[in-house]
Amino acid sequence: MATGKHSQAMFFQVRAGLSVKNKLLQSALQKAKPLFVGKRAKGVAGLADDGLDFELLRSTCENIRNRVLTDLDVWLDIFEQRAKASGAEVLWARDGEEICDLVIDVARRHGVSKAVKSKSMLSEEAHLNEALMAAGIQPVETDLGEYIVQLAGETPSHIIAPAIHKNIGQVEALFAKEHGRPLQARTSADIPAMAREARQVLRQHFLSAEMGISGANFLIAETGSAALVTNEGNGRMVTTLPKVHVVITGIEKIVPTLEDFATLMRLLPRSATGQTISNYVSLLTGTKQPGDSEGPEKTVFILVDNGRAALLGSAYQDMLRCIRCGACMNHCPVYFSLGGHAYGWVYPGPMGSVLTPLLTGIENALDLPHASTGCNQCGSVCPVRIPLPELMHRLREEQVERHLQPWSQRLALTAWAWLASNPVLYRWTMRRAARYLNWLADDSGRIRIFGLAPGWTAGRDLTPPAGKTFHELYAARKRA
Amino acid sequence: MRLALYVTCLVDLMRPSVGFATLRLLEAAGCEVVVPADQTCCGQPAWSAGNRALAADLAKKAIAELEGYDYVVIPSGSCTDQIRNVYPQLLADDAAWGPRARALAERTYELTSFLVDVLHFATPPAEFAGSVTYHDSCKGLRALNIKQQPRELLLKVKGLSLQEMPDCEECCGFGGAFSVRFGDVSTQIVDRKCESIATVGATAVVGGDLGCLMNIEGRLRRRGDETTRVLHIAEVLAGGGN
Repeated sequence: MATGKHSQAMFFQVRAGLSVKNKLLQSALQKAKPLFVGKRAKGVAGLADDGLDFELLRSTCENIRNRVLTDLDVWLDIFEQRAKASGAEVLWARDGEEICDLVIDVARRHGVSKAVKSKSMLSEEAHLNEALMAAGIQPVETDLGEYIVQLAGETPSHIIAPAIHKNIGQVEALFAKEHGRPLQARTSADIPAMAREARQVLRQHFLSAEMGISGANFLIAETGSAALVTNEGNGRMVTTLPKVHVVITGIEKIVPTLEDFATLMRLLPRSATGQTISNYVSLLTGTKQPGDSEGPEKTVFILVDNGRAALLGSAYQDMLRCIRCGACMNHCPVYFSLGGHAYGWVYPGPMGSVLTPLLTGIENALDLPHASTGCNQCGSVCPVRIPLPELMHRLREEQVERHLQPWSQRLALTAWAWLASNPVLYRWTMRRAARYLNWLADDSGRIRIFGLAPGWTAGRDLTPPAGKTFHELYAARKRA
Repeated sequence: MRLALYVTCLVDLMRPSVGFATLRLLEAAGCEVVVPADQTCCGQPAWSAGNRALAADLAKKAIAELEGYDYVVIPSGSCTDQIRNVYPQLLADDAAWGPRARALAERTYELTSFLVDVLHFATPPAEFAGSVTYHDSCKGLRALNIKQQPRELLLKVKGLSLQEMPDCEECCGFGGAFSVRFGDVSTQIVDRKCESIATVGATAVVGGDLGCLMNIEGRLRRRGDETTRVLHIAEVLAGGGN
């Protein structure tokens, strides 16, 4: 299991409170939400134009992922054989520390002083950039969002839109400082110019880096390839220009065949950005061969467990189907009230509320499984039908089983359940409660401060009951 | 047809008028309605907290009280989901209670779904002068597929016009204990709901779950909206005040 040492998930409640009050963050999130939701809805509706049915396709994708998980060891074996046959090296990492050790070892073997990176959430799990810097290797993030986040000294706040929490003014300030130029007034019309500016800076890094580090959206067992789904083109640079290419990815990312990959691609871009297909889809197999015009001389796959294998065969196995599209967080009312940083670890939103406790320890993320209204907007858009609310619920049950919930909460719940099991006493108590709540109301007929549930009245009034319970009134009516 | 009305603990304590409206409506539809006297709470708060044992105790209590009727009708999608979908899962491994849970689940309906899908009832007795906008509560919509039923019924109310708000399927941020435990996050979510409601400027926002309605009403009032009425659909359909 991954350690929880870098996780801030135990401070969710505090971080959430700060996020809610952060006006810049809130306005950035409110701009992004309708875009994500609207584009995905359009993308999914567009399936019909290709004669495809979303629900049917979801089932197919779910089955592909389930088939892999049933025999994960076998598919990994096949992948390793095929990848090696194509000239790649395949290494295995148990946790983040081992990822760092392996990458640094490969870098040292090949005299690497600079590594350009395409998006890799696994490298976030490992805190790879810090480890590389400590080893004297300069990591340069090249995905535009990741680049912004790296300049800011932050972590991504969304798995596919890492800098979603930043507005254009904040990005301009970072660019002006990093690129050594005066600050300019910017509007959204300047976004292409700003992207060009970043591109010019990054181009130099692409040409001078000796190592490229990427993740992989999928590993294809039958060909031993990594599949990369990107929009900015930086992924191609990272994986082809430097002489060494390191792919870091989780062991669950395997799919059996190219055809399975093609099927999943029907839903991945549509679920993520609403695109029918991403701007770039790369299949990377082996090393540069004689006659090839480009490609790395050395390809290394680092396949990572970091707590995943333990989920196989567990009540949480469904989570391993995840293809990291981000649709769950894009449709989550809680995520879009907070942004990703409140969640305290690598993965935010509903998938993070399940993965963070599972990968870093249930006891290290007690709030996250409760950070849900149970609305199931996530579950209803997930392209591989992960029952996210059910998994959060299972985590809550495990908290109870392991006595991880506060004793006060347990006591209150037990007392309430006992009361609800005794109708006579329950009726009596409710009658008193109705009168008490009625009495609490102020002159305007509202309860504005309610000590028993201060969280409620902090933001809302409570309309008190009229004074008598339904059952009381109903009994009186029957007698009459 | 003899049916049990399960009013829910929230209606019992906070808004009995919803219970009486449901009763009138079901009687207007020609049902013989019984209100089982010992009903308390379906146990959803225990279930949501992750406490299976307490949830199972309350599930058994409710099953014993409610299984002797042709149908059980509940003016709440959330509590209906608990009985229809959770009870069978909660008691699946219990040889005695599992089958009883499944049998009850099949006969348990949310109010609007019962009126439309089972009774094909099309003549709500009420009149309503004004426009309403309907908030789809999450459990009703996503766990029970309730979408058209309330709209069908509302459109048959004399004088009523229905104005859909943007994002009517978006969660209001209630989530039971969530709204107390993460009050500030919940407030942030319900703020967006209030803004959606404001864009249509309806006389009333209507829903099928009192929890969501208390949340929405509480936030509307705190934001200074004293005029938009917040009504349970049973109150609109039954008409006639309390």
